[in-house]
Amino acid sequence: MQKHSDEALVAYLDGELDSAERGHVEAWLEADPAARDRLAGLAQSAELVRGAYADIVNEPLPERLIAAARGETVPASLPPQQAEILVLQRPGRVATPLRRRGWQIGLAAAAGLLGVICGSTGTYFGIGMLAPSGAAAERQLAAAAANDAWLNNAAAYYKLTVSAGDTMLIDVPASNDPREALQKISQSLPQQVRLPDLKPWGLTFRGARLVVVEGRPAAQLVYVTDNKAIGPLTLDIGATTQPDIPPTFNRRQDVNLLYWRHHGHAYALVGRTDIGYLWGIANDVAWQLDAI
Amino acid sequence: MSLRWKPAAAPASAAEHGSGASARFGDQMIAVLPRLRRFARGLAGSAAEADDLVQAACERALARAHQFEEGSRFDSWMFRIVQTIWIDQLRARDVRKEDGDVADERLGSDIPVRRIEARLALSEVRRAVELLPPDQRTTLMLVTVDGLSYKEAAQVAGVPVGTIMSRLARARVALQQQLDAGGGIRRRANIAEA
Repeated sequence: MQKHSDEALVAYLDGELDSAERGHVEAWLEADPAARDRLAGLAQSAELVRGAYADIVNEPLPERLIAAARGETVPASLPPQQAEILVLQRPGRVATPLRRRGWQIGLAAAAGLLGVICGSTGTYFGIGMLAPSGAAAERQLAAAAANDAWLNNAAAYYKLTVSAGDTMLIDVPASNDPREALQKISQSLPQQVRLPDLKPWGLTFRGARLVVVEGRPAAQLVYVTDNKAIGPLTLDIGATTQPDIPPTFNRRQDVNLLYWRHHGHAYALVGRTDIGYLWGIANDVAWQLDAI
Repeated sequence: MSLRWKPAAAPASAAEHGSGASARFGDQMIAVLPRLRRFARGLAGSAAEADDLVQAACERALARAHQFEEGSRFDSWMFRIVQTIWIDQLRARDVRKEDGDVADERLGSDIPVRRIEARLALSEVRRAVELLPPDQRTTLMLVTVDGLSYKEAAQVAGVPVGTIMSRLARARVALQQQLDAGGGIRRRANIAEA
């Protein structure tokens, strides 16, 4: 490498020179204004290039790539992305009465026990009044099983989001006002996203990410907690053309999921907590968002 | 239609160590996907072509998982696979240019300026990157965008560190010329408008 060359300037900018080489370049820069201009131009163009590609790492991962990474194939007939996502119709926020909370935790415990009993089947259905019966139930389950690549992806999104720990990937951080984060994430979606309040469970809204659910853009709401028995958790909310299904438990990639579809919306509560907590929290979410 | 495992693509190491190893391998790949997509975008240009490239790289990595050396950097291995597939595609299309052979017909030429802006549009920067020869483009994406050291980039590209230095310098100078050309047009337009 010549001492006075573009190679030397670029390597100097990149911190790739040893102390002696750095000294040579600095002496050159000191003596030559043209070299200083050259260095400034090279630094500026490098910043432009970095900026031009910076946002790509924050884009939602296409389902087909997650499937490819797991050695799976994505059905070719996935519905195209359409602008009909997320119609959460109830305006305003619904408070969670304390009385209901006790019932809910009791139900969570009961559901957890039942989940253990049914664990070997790998699939858990919600309480009887929410579950369809007979042939209709079988059809719905068949439909659910027929296109469940998104569940793998929901689990992968969860792992990707939380794997970074304190620096977890968040497109829109909650900052001081969670509503502001929701407004920002909603700008990328056709409809306003509403935020379930999960503070009674010790869960704090950390922020939101844009992901893909059943081939459509969706919101992934990220909640964190100091309670390692529960969190962190993510709630994916997207649109779907698939038929309604009751809350259903599944386990993918060492991650637990409770998912359901209701009136054109797909929901997935994802975490490593047990089915009891998941069921209780899902009930709370459904009640607040009128999802069931 | 349910998901299915492709026996041909199942990594040998996964076959030897069970599905747990396969899942961990997949987890590593998913974790590096955002960076792979960015790298591929710089190489391929369009988002769709870049994702096709990454998907092909994932499939090849799974098929050759037994070739991955434990203890080496997984991300570097994946970058190398992406680069190899891209080069293969370029060769297949017979459009690969020799190293240093910048697309002179566009470098420094009068790129149409649709609007006068204070700063360069991101798309314009990406277009300037696309004009670089493949080897320079790869090096620029690995070092300047992804932040790999020269040594790491040399391992990915399979060339000496000195080659990385020279490719990178040529890439950065060509890029600056390209961007200066666009900026010059804008400055002249500003003056004319004033």
